[in-house]
Amino acid sequence: MTIEQTTPPAVPTRERSRTPVQTPGKVGEHTERADGVSKVRGDFEYSSDLWMDGMLWGATLRSPHPHAKVWSIDASGAEAMPGVRAVLTHEDVPGRKVYGMEVPDQPVLAWERVRYQGEAVAIVAADHPETARRALEKIAVEYELLDPLTDPEEAMEEDAPQLHLSGNVLKRIKILHGDVAVAEESADVVVTGDYEVGMQDQAFLGPESGLAVPDGRGGVDLYISTQWLHVDQDQIAASLGLEPEQVRLTLSGVGGAFGGREDLSIQIHACMLALDTGRPVKMMYNREESFYGHVHRHPCKMRYEHGATRSGELLYVRVRLVFDGGAYASSSNAVCTNAATFACGPYDVPNAQIESHMIYTNNPPCGAMRGFGAVQVCFAHEAQMDKLARELGMDPLELRLKNAMRPGIKFPFGQEVPQPAPVKEILERVRDMPLPEEEEVVGRDLRRLPGGVSNVTHGEGVRCGVGYAVGYKNIGFSAGFDDYSTARVALSVEDGEPLVQVHTAAAEVGQGLITIEAQIARTELGVERVAVLQADTGVGSAGSTSASRQTYVTGAAVKQACEAVRDRVFEKVRDEYGEEELTIEGGDVVSGGEILVSLAELLSGEEIEETVEYHHGATEPLDERGQGNAHLQFAFAAHRALVEVDAELGLIRVVEIATAQDVGKAMNPQALEGQIEGGIAQGLGLALLEEVQIKAGKIQNASFTDYLIPTILDMPSVRAEILELADPEAPYGLKGVGEPPTIASTPAIVAALRDATGQELARVPVKPEQIVGIAEKPPNEPPQPGSRGYSGIGRLDERRET
Amino acid sequence: MPGYDRVELTAELTVVPSSEAKSSPPREQVEAAIRTAGDSGLAREAGPEVTVLIGGRREVLEATMKVVEAALDAGAHAVKVRVEAQGEAERFGRGS
Repeated sequence: MTIEQTTPPAVPTRERSRTPVQTPGKVGEHTERADGVSKVRGDFEYSSDLWMDGMLWGATLRSPHPHAKVWSIDASGAEAMPGVRAVLTHEDVPGRKVYGMEVPDQPVLAWERVRYQGEAVAIVAADHPETARRALEKIAVEYELLDPLTDPEEAMEEDAPQLHLSGNVLKRIKILHGDVAVAEESADVVVTGDYEVGMQDQAFLGPESGLAVPDGRGGVDLYISTQWLHVDQDQIAASLGLEPEQVRLTLSGVGGAFGGREDLSIQIHACMLALDTGRPVKMMYNREESFYGHVHRHPCKMRYEHGATRSGELLYVRVRLVFDGGAYASSSNAVCTNAATFACGPYDVPNAQIESHMIYTNNPPCGAMRGFGAVQVCFAHEAQMDKLARELGMDPLELRLKNAMRPGIKFPFGQEVPQPAPVKEILERVRDMPLPEEEEVVGRDLRRLPGGVSNVTHGEGVRCGVGYAVGYKNIGFSAGFDDYSTARVALSVEDGEPLVQVHTAAAEVGQGLITIEAQIARTELGVERVAVLQADTGVGSAGSTSASRQTYVTGAAVKQACEAVRDRVFEKVRDEYGEEELTIEGGDVVSGGEILVSLAELLSGEEIEETVEYHHGATEPLDERGQGNAHLQFAFAAHRALVEVDAELGLIRVVEIATAQDVGKAMNPQALEGQIEGGIAQGLGLALLEEVQIKAGKIQNASFTDYLIPTILDMPSVRAEILELADPEAPYGLKGVGEPPTIASTPAIVAALRDATGQELARVPVKPEQIVGIAEKPPNEPPQPGSRGYSGIGRLDERRET
Repeated sequence: MPGYDRVELTAELTVVPSSEAKSSPPREQVEAAIRTAGDSGLAREAGPEVTVLIGGRREVLEATMKVVEAALDAGAHAVKVRVEAQGEAERFGRGS
């Protein structure tokens, strides 16, 4: 309900800040990012900095229970509080009460049942954020607790409680390639393994936030940090019962994404509160709420079987993947498909049988995260390659080289491996890179030893290990989706100088896209000054900033729009000068080395504008046997990890990561370096540190105190070699670069740990007890409280119970 | 990579039960529809007593017919149906 207002509604407008003009380098040149300095200095406006006079603050009441029936919601206590302007529940959702990118199954606000801890139940708008928070405490919700269903294997059983009307299986997919049964008979060596990847968080640094402003005509403007403005717009409009045109979105400063902003968080809630109160409403999660407010990387259990000849030729691979999708679908369907298609790794596998299951549980919903299904299977297939090499008595790198995928063969899902697919080349590159000079461990600076300044070893018990891994992934949307992006480019003269303005809806989430767009405009139009306008829904969809696709797809749209503008300029010149061979250089139209006319003179106040929608090549959905030309482009990266391990305490120092990656074209080498190092950091996090720990459906570590991400002290030096093997289908021959660094860096680190310790290490993140070898068989006498000075507070697991 | 496995069609069904039906009481009329929807393998809850069927065009339409029949057979007064092609539906090869 709405509480009567005592102040007049604010004017629903927000002034745009002036778009900065860049002077970028051309494509392929080192170019400093346009937003770099302001971000480092703290001047950059993130969505959490949004402000409007007269705005209210929104807050969300969330279920403390992972599974419960909701018998009643009494908001009267909150409504009676001074300063509270609205308290809304599911009854106030004007349109569709559920949302979802692929499957509309997640309640905007819960009605009869909650399916995960943190599910939104009610929302409040108040004059002050603290008032809103206190109002949440005054909302009385009567729950009947139900047993949470948290194990995907149990959820697959026939008599398991049904979390959704049609059961707990969200998706099942099979890929059948060749004849595994026949190949099995010829195998000299068979290795099997069970592997597990924990739930990783995207851990973007800027929690969810945004500002919704009612337009006074029934519509709303939303300023938001997100990854795909138009898919947000569709979902918000459906739930508000409005036409999409009545819901206008503008991208605000995004503090990282990595997939975690693809689903809606505050969007519908903020708009509902703004429309209900007639006032701008700001919502901003804190770190703890952010853990409940976005999806995570799917935990996955994987069973693998590899069969090979004695000489190390792969004959078949059998795979079973079980993903924990959590309570709602998010993009789990696509993750399930992706993982299945990449389950065998970048190898020539003539026979494969792969099944992938995506299961609903009462755990937090899982969805997109950098690597999107390829990360989980890469950990397993690379562990299997090492295991097979051990069984064969072969060098693990030699085994990989022997079976490396090459153009012209078929992927297990039936598509032909396109050019370029340099798996062998990147493996050879990392093999041939020199290892760092060996440093004596005894007497070394403590900061360069496992455990660092904790002063736990001075070099004794430290072992070294080296491991390799290679991975690959699709770039762009797949399986029949008509993927496209829209770009509007305008050429004009401002202050006597030509200026190019680029307008797209593509989300800059920190990856450097706005710099790339400017570089493309600079290259194609020969104009030094470029302004990339704020992304919004005033221009056609650019698709999502995900699948490492924006430089490819939006880059191509910007390129083509620039070409269309350039054609019109040349048309104009030809009309006046009749010359045929024309170029634009330094703001002048040039023919045969002679300046014909400056753009300033030619345009004389006129603006030339073109809008282009670029669609990439078609893909196909998989058929019933899991076969089809499902993917657009493939990107490959190999990693070599060097680690040092204190084998007594299970402490680890990653000394160096060497990597080789094919990028097609290094569009901005500086940004590329950032993507490679950042991706490796995230891969290291999954290998050693990062896991959302869940117990009985409840998150145990919803903070950056307890959910550990790598810091500069954890990061090794990175040695990278870049291959530029052009993809003939892609603009400038480029390949997406954002995700590949994350995929194989995790298994390379774990392979190095196995090398150092001899332990199996079938689960990530690797814990000290696995390194020491007591994870499966704990010591007979566990340390007692008091034995190490903790008698006052008790054991950690006991403290968590309380 | 959201959206490429997006459902093609959704059908939202709301049963309007009849208190005068002889065959079954109002609650059972709703339950009959929900049971049939659940059996289709396509159903999710979409609000109090609202069910949404999701998937490929043909399967959703066939299931919709069955749910409507189940509700009417149980004595329901009416079933409100809203069938909607998801945005850009023609771009998807098939439903989930």
